Amino acid sequence: MNTPIDEAPSHLRYAEYVLGVLDADARAEVEREMATSDAAAIAVALWQRRLLPLADEIVPTEPPPYVWERIRDGLGLRAPTRMPPPVARPGLWESLRFWHWLGLGASAVAAACLVLLLVPARRGPVAPPPAYMASAITQDNGQVGWTATMDLAQGRMVVVPARPQAIAAGRAPELWLLPPGGKPIAVGMIASDAPTTLALDRALLARLGPDAALAVSLEPPGGSPTGQPTGPVIAKGAIGASPESGGKPVALLRVNPTVRGQA
Amino acid sequence: MSTPTPDGEALARLLTQVAKGDERAFEELYRRTSARLFGVCLRMLRDRGEAEEALQDAWTSAWRRATSFDAGKASAMTWLSTLARNKAIDRLRQRREQPLDDPAMLDLLVDEEPTPAADAQHSQDYRRLRDCLDQLEPRQRRSVREAFFSGATYNELAVRCQVPLGTMKSWIRRSLLQLRTCLDA
Repeated sequence: MNTPIDEAPSHLRYAEYVLGVLDADARAEVEREMATSDAAAIAVALWQRRLLPLADEIVPTEPPPYVWERIRDGLGLRAPTRMPPPVARPGLWESLRFWHWLGLGASAVAAACLVLLLVPARRGPVAPPPAYMASAITQDNGQVGWTATMDLAQGRMVVVPARPQAIAAGRAPELWLLPPGGKPIAVGMIASDAPTTLALDRALLARLGPDAALAVSLEPPGGSPTGQPTGPVIAKGAIGASPESGGKPVALLRVNPTVRGQA
Repeated sequence: MSTPTPDGEALARLLTQVAKGDERAFEELYRRTSARLFGVCLRMLRDRGEAEEALQDAWTSAWRRATSFDAGKASAMTWLSTLARNKAIDRLRQRREQPLDDPAMLDLLVDEEPTPAADAQHSQDYRRLRDCLDQLEPRQRRSVREAFFSGATYNELAVRCQVPLGTMKSWIRRSLLQLRTCLDA
């Protein structure tokens, strides 16, 4: 029954797949093959490279703005941060950069340094008081996993691993804010072996406080697909608070390496 | 393969950042490429609402699967366009079979040949592909182009072009072989 032309050489099926002429069943079959066979995946990639340039001909059309909002909301990503322009505040954000520079294996040192760095800020009678918060995110074994420092004025957080963290293959650490009595809020993916800087939007900033905590869970590499933690929580830490000064938070710092299983 | 353009390199860098969970890179990548991807979805689905949904599906996958992007295997634009095409084709396949004699469907088959004037702004990869397509027999070239842009199955193409299914398969397969020979030369 098969004429020669019906018997497409098997490699042509990858071309047919990329061109888009296969029906749903045949497509699914090729996709299964790609998942299990490197040769199939490479053959498809080669055909994509050959044929996809034809898409250059298509006239670009701007999608309506709500499409981006839906994508962002569907993925549980933060609303765009409207960060204030950088203020000439000598040394404060730089001190966070210093954490970056300091890098691994240094969270205790970094915490101590931060105390020192903050002393002038506490005393400074002229400069507007900066607001920092810090948290030692501690693993079940009591070891500090990451140290987080939040610069409230700049809406930024630096998360530094105390040491390179062993993370299960195919998983990635995601940082969550645990507001008191509320659901976890995704802060962002963090690196297990390098400092990560994250932007804090207004909604997150509003919830940072001594009653809130931070937690790290293991999620698929792109982040939790549901917007809530789906994997095991591997580290947790309280957020340090400072005494009030003139009704304004001055420097919030309490790194507590023994925080375990809070909130 | 041609040297990636600076823009292509920038897109690849952004996509690599997205793989690390960088939301700003994700937004920037979307800003730079979503109009092209939306064009791809619109052209296939010919329905704004469905095209918007396919675009959303594609970007959701892009965020979740960015770690599978390999700059050595594909350009960022190829990777993203493939996601958009696949989401649009999935939706086409979920639609109920189009009535075979729907005259509106026949109207969709237009002989859309790009104007040479547009060529200057196209990539080197595109110009090469165009040169190879131009060497195909006209009906076969039209079938390949229609297949690529519409996402239609062999069956649908045969009906639209009013040729037997076997003829359509033969045209497309010969064209693909010829294109490969020409492009890989």
